[in-house]
Amino acid sequence: MFKKILIANRGEIALRIISACRELDIKTVAIYSEADRDALHVRYADEDVCVGPYPSAASYLNISAIVSAAEITEADAIHPGYGFLSENAYFAEILQDCHIAFIGPSPDAMRRMGDKSLARRTVTAAGVPTVPGSPGPVETVDEALAFARKAGYPVILKAAAGGGGRGMRVARDERELSGAYETARNEADKAFGNPDVYLEKYLDAPRHIEFQVFGDSFGNVQHLGERECSIQRRHQKLIEEAPSAVLTPELRRQMGEAAITAAKAVNYTNAGTIEFLLDSQDRFYFMEMNTRLQVEHPVTEQVTGLDIVKEQIAVAAGASLSFAGRELAPRGHAIEFRVNAEDPVTFAPCPGRLTAFHPPGGIGVRVDTAAYQGYVIPPHYDSLIAKLIVHGRTRMEAISRARRALDLFVVEGIKTTIPMHRRILDDPDFVDGRLSTRFMERFAAAS
Amino acid sequence: MLSFKEIKELIDLVTERGLSGLEIERAGFRIRIEGARPPVANGTIEAPANAAPAPTPALGGAAAVAAAPEGEGVHVITSPIVGTFYRAPSPEAEAFADVGSRVSKGKVLCIIESMKLMNEIESDVEGEIVEVYARNGQPVEYGEKLFGIRLAA
Repeated sequence: MFKKILIANRGEIALRIISACRELDIKTVAIYSEADRDALHVRYADEDVCVGPYPSAASYLNISAIVSAAEITEADAIHPGYGFLSENAYFAEILQDCHIAFIGPSPDAMRRMGDKSLARRTVTAAGVPTVPGSPGPVETVDEALAFARKAGYPVILKAAAGGGGRGMRVARDERELSGAYETARNEADKAFGNPDVYLEKYLDAPRHIEFQVFGDSFGNVQHLGERECSIQRRHQKLIEEAPSAVLTPELRRQMGEAAITAAKAVNYTNAGTIEFLLDSQDRFYFMEMNTRLQVEHPVTEQVTGLDIVKEQIAVAAGASLSFAGRELAPRGHAIEFRVNAEDPVTFAPCPGRLTAFHPPGGIGVRVDTAAYQGYVIPPHYDSLIAKLIVHGRTRMEAISRARRALDLFVVEGIKTTIPMHRRILDDPDFVDGRLSTRFMERFAAAS
Repeated sequence: MLSFKEIKELIDLVTERGLSGLEIERAGFRIRIEGARPPVANGTIEAPANAAPAPTPALGGAAAVAAAPEGEGVHVITSPIVGTFYRAPSPEAEAFADVGSRVSKGKVLCIIESMKLMNEIESDVEGEIVEVYARNGQPVEYGEKLFGIRLAA
């Protein structure tokens, strides 16, 4: 087992990883930029190393500074969290060369699933259904138009090196597609260093259903059930829940098997998530795989009782899946609300000093946060300040718990998306489980 | 026995609160940290803005912290990277620079080793070295103090 783990991240996920390490009696090293001197993850870790000034490129994405920090503190493993370097195969390879364990999948699995167009081809070859799309990147605007003519509009242009909801453009007719093609390529090149874009049929109001998968070094690959993440704004998730209100046991079995097949197609190890789209006819399609821990992992933890981060560490250290051969059927219902430092109506970022911060507690309430009263939220990083996760015996109990918890969540000094979540919890479509990726569009229009 | 991090936190406490001193005793170990004496001006006592008190641990092995405050005209060179600080190009060689050395802009002051690469750190000012903050072989982080240079007139 590892003696010391360096956490190559910040904020709530850095605390989450430190917590798991403490329970496993593993020493922790925090890295931080100059803007994060007062951050909680720095205070709670056993050791800390300042790796650079506030820009992410000079600090949290600074591979040589982070590897040097691991060397001078003699850390034997690095957990990358989510975002930042968590899906950077080059980083994982460097760690291999330096004999530092990377708590995540192999560089090869990351590459094969990181190229979203290659991922589609890989899983299609393994028999997993994918959204109808171009066989590879579309090299010319004519190719794009030809594919769209066959598959039918609307279509969506996606960056092959993108993912996580970034680098996408919808086109509803030929004119829009011709206009969007070059722009999409330029944006992809600027954002991801690769201009390749591919085309997919854009499904009408699908549900976003993802499966948590886990592989170990003995060839076991199992899933831990699904999460429904249909409530999104501009492809960024706002609310996630487990299990999905609409999956029948048969559909869950089929999708779970498809998720495992997809993961096995790249010899996947450690934690990962297979994202599907489910249409109104209960047909499901592979969309992409995230080769890392996800923000919303707590909802799966709440309904299965498994500590996913501890499992990641154990598997990376060579253990087999602790639940190998067993099915962890979900107990009860969990919902997560991402509390962002944003205006609840315009979503404009609102960093600043938290003059009051008192998270709710009590039965069935979990808050993952690195915020505290008096903390100044820096403007340089993402706006997530807390995750509120509720758990109940039924979806209705989880909803009533969420209403109670959000009403008792005190945050002053900045604006947050708590009022928005509170209104969603009173929306009849949400309460009755009528969700789709068009939910926020309709909800925002109705307000 | 307190860790280096805990001793550093106690020193910060003494400085921030302007304490005149702090002494802790436990079985087998005692540490006394003295605060810098505040200057008396016109009958009022003010705590200096950046006094660094000197610790006198009873147990050996605790790292010595720089006692001299940065006065005017002292330019501090900080580490631009994470790595291990070395004062000489090799273990047998002479140090690049010492207290009292006159340095010009561009003069190599030390090496910071990072991922097996030896990075030469140059002075960005002209002057005389009055303080060497880091010890040979010490791990340093971004922004860690390395040298204090009194600027040439």
